[in-house]
Amino acid sequence: MAANEAVRSAVEMRDAFGQGLVELGRQYPKMITLDADLHTSSKATMFKKAYPERFIQVGIAEQNLFGISAGLALSGFMPFPSTFAVFATRRALDQIAISICFPNLNVKIPGSYVGLPTSRAGASHNCIEDIAVMRALPNMRVADPADAADLRAIMRAAAEVQGPVYFRIARLTMPTIFGADHKFEWGKGVVLREGRDVTLFGTGIMTTFCIKAADLLAADGIAAEVVHLASIKPIDRELVAASAARTGCAVTAENATINGGFGAAVLEVLGEECPVPLRRIGVRDRWADSGGIKELFTHHGMQAEDIAGAAKSVIQAKRGARA
Amino acid sequence: MQLTAEKLSELEDVAFQIRRLSVEMIAWGKWGHIGGSFSMAELLSVLYFQVMSVRPTQADWDGRDRLVLSKAHGSPALYAVLALRGYYPVDEVYTYCELGGFEGHTDMTRTPGLEASGGPLGMGLSVAVGMALGMRLKENPRGRIFCILGDGETNEGNVWEAAMSAAHYHLDNLIAVVDYNKVMAKGYVWDEMAIEPFADKWRAFGWDVVEVDGHDLPALADAFHRARWVMPRGKPIVVIAHTVKGKGVEMAEFNYKWHTHAPDPATADAMIRELACAYGRPEQGYSKLGEPEVKEDFYGGE
Repeated sequence: MAANEAVRSAVEMRDAFGQGLVELGRQYPKMITLDADLHTSSKATMFKKAYPERFIQVGIAEQNLFGISAGLALSGFMPFPSTFAVFATRRALDQIAISICFPNLNVKIPGSYVGLPTSRAGASHNCIEDIAVMRALPNMRVADPADAADLRAIMRAAAEVQGPVYFRIARLTMPTIFGADHKFEWGKGVVLREGRDVTLFGTGIMTTFCIKAADLLAADGIAAEVVHLASIKPIDRELVAASAARTGCAVTAENATINGGFGAAVLEVLGEECPVPLRRIGVRDRWADSGGIKELFTHHGMQAEDIAGAAKSVIQAKRGARA
Repeated sequence: MQLTAEKLSELEDVAFQIRRLSVEMIAWGKWGHIGGSFSMAELLSVLYFQVMSVRPTQADWDGRDRLVLSKAHGSPALYAVLALRGYYPVDEVYTYCELGGFEGHTDMTRTPGLEASGGPLGMGLSVAVGMALGMRLKENPRGRIFCILGDGETNEGNVWEAAMSAAHYHLDNLIAVVDYNKVMAKGYVWDEMAIEPFADKWRAFGWDVVEVDGHDLPALADAFHRARWVMPRGKPIVVIAHTVKGKGVEMAEFNYKWHTHAPDPATADAMIRELACAYGRPEQGYSKLGEPEVKEDFYGGE
């Protein structure tokens, strides 16, 4: 597994997104990319250059962006309406819910600039609640990729299923975890590292932080299992429950608010299948901020060190419960 | 454009049946919007029986015209006209608001012939714009997209985003229809939020405007004929249909109290009698409602 090797390379997630759009455009003649005046930021601009006749600009009007996408899907096309995640999931939630999700239309929604890294744009542009909001919608699938290969695989998997998909794109250059042959399956997680003492469940860019946390824990003689769950909905219930049953405690990590998000999704599974001591790493019921990327992750307690600390506390709780 | 006497009589009958079935559905389903269903009766009659090119037995025919009901609370009228046009047996409309039946607001996965789902106001015109762009991408020069909006609905900003984009993309295969019945859910349009000068707003957004009496069948047929075949191309067209909310039953006319209100069986019977007499069909002045149902005991009932 590449995760255990030294970092070989790193790719900007937005570049991977743009390349992914072009790749899908080549494969699917009915694919359309729509934009609300952000294509050079999201890198949807790569698709615009490759397939200008299948690129639709709607201006700064996100509600219209998603309504038009519903209409295109109803005409047999596969639209990718592209904008920042905040504008998709806050401004146009009603359109996504009723025009797209309710009739189960084939619209694939990329949310750009998710979580803390937004190039200092601040709280208004830090999309922290999108996982919670999107996974609450019936018919919607939700995925958060760890690296470029994961994102490209999610985009291919999004095109292969009928129905709405929401996937996240962080504005960050991420080290390579997966090889080019990486496959993504809906409802399937990946064990990146096996361990007996604690499970670190990561999604999106936080999986890289989990791997680093596992290294820190290993130095202290703790064997952490690292499980990457890019598919947040559907979630891999079997793997989540089996890993927690094996290790007896868990930490979740997400580049989003912990309220109703990924950690909550893991908790729902474990609460029903295998209750164990658990702590969630993520934004803790507060607005995010402008600031440098490292500063922000430290400020919100979302660094690898924070994950390792949380792991030690749940291991402590597990031992306390057994004593 | 002249309608034959035979056609006119058919369109009149359809408008009558739309109203009669709407009352039955809403009374039977114990929920619904009589006012906004009645105001659209002639519009839907002319669209589905005179203007639109559709194949009820082949509902997904690619060359068809499409209609998006943006004011989706007018679903009873649309369910009625789709049944009358032959998309499904008329009896199916009585599943309206029953669990597993036709939804209170439009659900295209449950009702054949629906082109979109809806409910929240202000969203349908964007969907119609997407369909019109899709028709153009598919190089279908004939199919038209119709979208019926409410007047109060145009308070929603999304409507004007859609209007702006339709003009930007020169969507001359798109015809919006405003059911301008002057009455909203809780009051009159000019009291709640003034929309005039309404036609000028559409013109300023780059649309061609046709104004018409929305209950005058020959005038409606003529307006849609002009919108579809006569007017110059290159712009989207809006047909502003001046209507009366609740048109057809005196107690509901121009009365926001009948925006959302289900008549009890006796009132529904009276409404149907009034309609049947007005249309000269007293023999059809009886509903299928029968005896009033015993109320369910569910934490105090509905």
